[in-house]
Amino acid sequence: MTSIASTRSRAHGSPETERFVPGQPDMWAFVLFEAFVFTAYFTVYVFSRARTPDVFRQSQMHLDLRVGVVNTLLLLTSSLFVARCVQAAREGSYRAATTNAFLTMLFGSVFLVSKVREWAMEIGQGFTFTTDEFFSFYYFLTAIHFIHLLIGFVALAVAVRQLTSPARRSQVIVETCATYWHTIDFLWVLIFALLYVMR
Amino acid sequence: MNSGFEKRPIVIWLALSAITILQLGIGSIDARAALAGKAAIAASVIGIALIKVRIIIREFMEVRHAPVLLGRLTDLWVVLTGAILLGGYLAGTAFPKG
Repeated sequence: MTSIASTRSRAHGSPETERFVPGQPDMWAFVLFEAFVFTAYFTVYVFSRARTPDVFRQSQMHLDLRVGVVNTLLLLTSSLFVARCVQAAREGSYRAATTNAFLTMLFGSVFLVSKVREWAMEIGQGFTFTTDEFFSFYYFLTAIHFIHLLIGFVALAVAVRQLTSPARRSQVIVETCATYWHTIDFLWVLIFALLYVMR
Repeated sequence: MNSGFEKRPIVIWLALSAITILQLGIGSIDARAALAGKAAIAASVIGIALIKVRIIIREFMEVRHAPVLLGRLTDLWVVLTGAILLGGYLAGTAFPKG
């Protein structure tokens, strides 16, 4: 485990000469694994969509694109704060790092509430998992992403615990947690494009 | 504190947010166009999303400071995903249901 103090030089060293893996390499192996799993899900989706474009387009019209945009902005903002959390921790500003971790949680929480509200609205209008192929994909992709986001809160809690305990602080662990959170963000960017934007 | 180091993520966030808002325009297209038009829209949607993903990986996830191998692996996933998704879409159009 690497202490924050011992890795602080990362912030000030020349990036060209001091390349480093952000966080634990194991997390990157997991990120790549997850990314390929989601690529498989997305491929089945686009294949099915191209086979029955009218069914997908008509069902998609029941989603509010503006809600998708707002949700994407929420997660992008949460990613900004977790990136700032990593920076602040690296510079030894633990209070600022903790604040940024809590702001990440805040924006992630608003996303969760927004997503549950959207599901409730769709179900209220009679669009459920079994309505048609589009809604099966919609509920599957958004639900599996939702579960990943819940795990992301556990990762953020680990980061906060690291940052608030001087004896426990580890820059590598904080970066590992941030890497997981960013992964949730970029997977959502693709889900947003495929479910809400694609025509 | 290095102020340049502080500002960069905000600039990246602004760029990603701007692209997201621009996607509203693409999403508003009523694609009752020809098949080729639909494929072009699908390719554009996938391409723009993957550009955003790569920016997140390079900037927020700090892969631009990582060993070259990690950058190549993540770029490989981005390129493969783009190719597979476009291939999947075109395959779907070649085998319409019903």
